[in-house]
Amino acid sequence: MNGPKVVFTIPVFGGIKVTESIINMWIIMAVLVALSIWLTHGLRVRNPSRKQLILEKLAAMLYDMVRDVMGERYLPFAPYIGTLFLLSIVGSLSSLTGLRPYTGDLSVILSWTIVTFIMIQSNNIKNHGVFGWLKSFTQPVAFITPLNIISEIANPVSMTFRHFGNIAAGLVITSLVYSALASMSGFLLSWIPSGFIASIPIFQVGIPAVLSIYFDLFTSFLQAYIICMLTMVFVQGAGE
Amino acid sequence: MEEYLSFVSIDAWTMIFTWVNLIILFLLLKKFLFKPINKMLDERAGEIENSYKTAENTKSEAAEIKAEYERRLQSAKSEADGIIKSAVETANTRSEGIVNEASEKAKHMLQRSKKQIESDKESAVREAREDIASMAVEIAGKIIGKKLDADTDAKLISDIIDRI
Repeated sequence: MNGPKVVFTIPVFGGIKVTESIINMWIIMAVLVALSIWLTHGLRVRNPSRKQLILEKLAAMLYDMVRDVMGERYLPFAPYIGTLFLLSIVGSLSSLTGLRPYTGDLSVILSWTIVTFIMIQSNNIKNHGVFGWLKSFTQPVAFITPLNIISEIANPVSMTFRHFGNIAAGLVITSLVYSALASMSGFLLSWIPSGFIASIPIFQVGIPAVLSIYFDLFTSFLQAYIICMLTMVFVQGAGE
Repeated sequence: MEEYLSFVSIDAWTMIFTWVNLIILFLLLKKFLFKPINKMLDERAGEIENSYKTAENTKSEAAEIKAEYERRLQSAKSEADGIIKSAVETANTRSEGIVNEASEKAKHMLQRSKKQIESDKESAVREAREDIASMAVEIAGKIIGKKLDADTDAKLISDIIDRI
């Protein structure tokens, strides 16, 4: 099983490898921005169109979720949470179009969770001061400090492996199933002398779609939801 | 030859690109998605606030107008009451005057009639006396057979009648 393909290499700093993940992310970003411009085009205060109603509903859901989980004072966080959610879910769903989902790339997910980690620590410092932040690691007793540090680091690590693991596992299982179904088709049709007919992958039609509902649709949504929810909970918790 | 990264790998450049992408997308979505939506929602909230305010104003204005109307109605009513009262008073005084005048007139007429009757009676009595006197003179003349001097007789007779 291969990782992301290196599409091209920028020949500076000893060669910057630009992978499939990055290219796909650029495509998704362009789509998201174009979609945003199209959706927010001609917003009306009165008599909103159906398109606008759906958009308003989604925006309200996002803001309500941030308000419920984090509280009123963290509402400015909503755009970041929305960005993260869209980037994650659309990235995972991009596997449906045949792109390699960049959410199945450990580096990408790790970058996101490191951002979350920085947000958690900076929110802690913002609310308790540097001294209060350092002191919080020695709570409730001093000798537990190493454990506290490990648990702080464990947060982004576990988030990373959860998200990456689910999508990557989906990739692996889907490709395994594809190759298994292909060899099954080949085995079943091998008695037919015509090479063309024998190469028709009859089992690959339909069966992967069932798996796809779980691995692509359900997991994509769930992982995007989880990474946003955990980010909100941890950041809000650090401010308490 | 196609080059692949390994399936589980941490690539520094991918991470840097991811961060840059995340920041760029965050800023772009903020500008093109969240800002327009929030602006529209704020405008809507403002408009709703405005229409509430307008409704409130209209309501209080209506209440004011109603109070004013009621006040006017009250004053009109009392005015009407006053007019009716004074009209009744005027009518009363006038009717009293009319009645008084009428009774006065009637009294007057009665008196005059009484006087008339009195004077008529008197003149009738006098006339009767004169007639009686002249008849008496005539009768006496016929009895005596001799016609007295008219003036003397008349005097004589009236003397007699006065004595009766």
